[in-house]
Amino acid sequence: MTGDSNPAASPAEPDTSEVAGGEPRAAARLSAITKSFFGVPANDRVDFDLRWGEIHALLGENGAGKSTLCSVLAGLYHPDSGEIHLDSERVDLASPQQALEHGVGMVYQHFRLVDRFTVAENLALGHPETGFVTSRRSLERQVAELGRRYGLEVSPKAAIWQLSVGEQQRVEILKLLYRGVRILILDEPTAVLTPQEAQSLFKTMRAMAADGQAIIFVSHKLDEVLEVSDRVTVLRDGERVGSMETAEADPATLARMMVGRDLATPDRTKTTAGAAALSVRGLFADGDRGLEALRDVDLEVKESQIVGVAGVAGNGQRELAEVITGLRRSKRGQIFLGDVDITRSSTLDRIKLGLGFVPEDRMRTGMAGGLPLAANLALKAYRQPPLSKGPVVSQKAVEERARSLEKQFDIRGVRWAMPTSLLSGGNIQRAILARELSARPRVLVAAAPTRGLDVAAIDAIRQILLDERDAGTAILMISEDLEEILDLSDEIVVLYEGRVMGRLDPDDASPEVLGMLMAGRTAEGAGTTAGPADDAAADTATEPA
Amino acid sequence: MSLSLGAFELTVERQQIPSRLVRIGAPTASVAFGLLVGALIIWAAGQDPILAYTEMAKKGFGGRLALTGTLVLATPLILTGLAAVVAFRMKVWNIGAEGQLILGAVASSGLGLWLGDNGIGGPVGIVLMLAAGAGAGALWAALAALPRAYLNTDEVISTLMLNFVALGIMNYLIFSSFSHWRDPGRATFPVGRFVDDSMFLHRFTGRLHIGLFIALAAAGVLWWALRSTRWGFEVWVTGDSPRAALYSGMRVDRKILSVLMVSGALAGLGGGIEVGGVLGNLDPRALSLGVGFAGIVVAALARLSPLGVIPVAILVASFTNAKPGLQVLGIPSEIVTLLEGILFLCIVGGEWFLRNALRLQRRAGPVEAAAS
Repeated sequence: MTGDSNPAASPAEPDTSEVAGGEPRAAARLSAITKSFFGVPANDRVDFDLRWGEIHALLGENGAGKSTLCSVLAGLYHPDSGEIHLDSERVDLASPQQALEHGVGMVYQHFRLVDRFTVAENLALGHPETGFVTSRRSLERQVAELGRRYGLEVSPKAAIWQLSVGEQQRVEILKLLYRGVRILILDEPTAVLTPQEAQSLFKTMRAMAADGQAIIFVSHKLDEVLEVSDRVTVLRDGERVGSMETAEADPATLARMMVGRDLATPDRTKTTAGAAALSVRGLFADGDRGLEALRDVDLEVKESQIVGVAGVAGNGQRELAEVITGLRRSKRGQIFLGDVDITRSSTLDRIKLGLGFVPEDRMRTGMAGGLPLAANLALKAYRQPPLSKGPVVSQKAVEERARSLEKQFDIRGVRWAMPTSLLSGGNIQRAILARELSARPRVLVAAAPTRGLDVAAIDAIRQILLDERDAGTAILMISEDLEEILDLSDEIVVLYEGRVMGRLDPDDASPEVLGMLMAGRTAEGAGTTAGPADDAAADTATEPA
Repeated sequence: MSLSLGAFELTVERQQIPSRLVRIGAPTASVAFGLLVGALIIWAAGQDPILAYTEMAKKGFGGRLALTGTLVLATPLILTGLAAVVAFRMKVWNIGAEGQLILGAVASSGLGLWLGDNGIGGPVGIVLMLAAGAGAGALWAALAALPRAYLNTDEVISTLMLNFVALGIMNYLIFSSFSHWRDPGRATFPVGRFVDDSMFLHRFTGRLHIGLFIALAAAGVLWWALRSTRWGFEVWVTGDSPRAALYSGMRVDRKILSVLMVSGALAGLGGGIEVGGVLGNLDPRALSLGVGFAGIVVAALARLSPLGVIPVAILVASFTNAKPGLQVLGIPSEIVTLLEGILFLCIVGGEWFLRNALRLQRRAGPVEAAAS
């Protein structure tokens, strides 16, 4: 434990009788938790223990099983096997309600608040002691009191829709505290916060730990974990890699634990890249919530080259793809397709100039899911002959084209008039690639091209991308799958909080360096340019003194 | 989901593509079921259901007079039905056909009167008059469409509210002012001035006028446009997924604008045809009978098919046409309204069978095991 959470013994917290001698009592112990979805284990015999008065970080990549483990403890998922002990008592949590009764609560990434209600009303909602008649004034007083105690200041009378995202998160935490929760799980809480808001959250977390409560802090950001946690447990591919005191951890070890599978160097044919086909210069853009999602991004993709964009989800990848393809406005910077400045061009003009896009959201963006496949295959080509003459679209030509693409790209399971959404993920992705590649694009932006697909489909899609590159197309591939990035890319760019953290040659990229970059640390001596994220961390790292 | 019935088990499965038998059978069975429920209610109300049904059929379709009356009533209903179809196909909810029809009638009669005052009439006058109706309906719809397309306001509320504004304008022109529309010669009860006789739509037999064929042609054109044009394809994609439409380079804002304006034009044309074919003037009492709202019901019953709107509109019109005649026989006209409601509920309820499959199976397991 770092110094600041030890005073836990002093403040009055009646039923947290603890710290008998040196060994703090366990708040929660999860043993051999296994939970599978559709036969795929998300947690595989995971052990985890949590002490009163500590902030315990859960670190791992996307899909490592962090959220699943937390949801098991919060009663949302019932484990297939394994035991949960709370305060040394074996419990069976059948619902989040039961977990709350045991004092365990979770703040989800998507808030569960009623927009039109006030803060106090949201707290009263669903609280077992809320009667038919409730004194609004005493409720508001209690809320204000709780808020002051933990630095969660927010006006009890404000309606939720008037609050910023950071304030809404405070309400979620207050809601749990008001219900008497003493084991608090925060699932990627900083993902939606500005750096200042994150700092204020950390203060709250420390105050709660000092009060003897136990906090699980889920994150994939190394700096935050090192800054705020007392202990850290690393998960990878659904298994526990290890736990350690944060004071004894160093970034390199943690990064290796997080990423550290054996990454085979792929044997691929090097092609000689041609002229620049896509150039992005000094690009800035906002995300959906109005926070800056892209900050000064520079990129270049040449003909016959695959540039892989690596990073943990939510670090600007989606926004980058959308800005390049015209679905999102940029604030500053320029985008060129060859020599043409397309920064202000419409999506249609970009398509006409030879920009193809395989979006991450296949079912609602890449395809109109309720329409038959033939219509979806015509989504872009319907404007020109032979599919249309003047204003008239030929149904026959649309169907003929669909049949020939089905054959060419081996799309299976298609029945006429069947909604596209009923096809399997692999076939849908083949169909999207069929449509995009049949337009002979100069540049292809492919986001999460193989996510959620089975092994055979993954191989097929990757082969299609490699063939396309060899045929001269410039491909910008955005992926959270490191193996995929290392296997296919000719150059790797790492995004972290909307910035380019580093550029690497895949042959020199070690999991350690990549892991550090993805978690917001510049890897010293790895031949990368220093990222700007360090100054913010430096201010706070020295706090315990 | 399953329900056990003794040795049998009834299971419900979601199905995505209904078979041909179900597609035709389900609505037919729904109508039959609705008529049966209606018969029970008529019987419970102390009337003879068989007599009521035969009289309804007779007063709606039996004989030249009944039939032409029904078709005249069906004409504006077809157009407001189409107005709902085109908007609802793209999941844009135009609830304002009522107001668009009224504004169409205001513009048609206004221009018709002006043309007559200036000595223009005949076919040219008719075409201009109907065009004015369609144009006014489109512009009235644009008042809701522009904020919907560019500010993402809720079109349900704006189109609904514009109905009342339109109604207010029409009432003001006739009842509260000595406007261009009002007949100055009638001091006792205010009525609208009649357009020149040469601008009445051509009549064939009875009251049947050429407007019916304009409505039928509109249905045909809309069917073709939705099915076979680039515009129709874009409406189709946008209705299913606006994001996919944006992704493929379509302008969703312009599509919302064009679809709502086409919808308004169809309703406005209905207003113009009412003026030219039936009323001859701007008559607030005849133009506020809810034809715009009924069009929504027609479109829903026709399952948003432009051609399906035609028979449905004729059926609904026959009910309306039969009402006064039934009253004479001592069958309250409310029975007809009630039957309309029951049929509507049954047909909408029958849609469930298009999306789910029922299977009755002999139960495996304990029962069989015990027998062997």
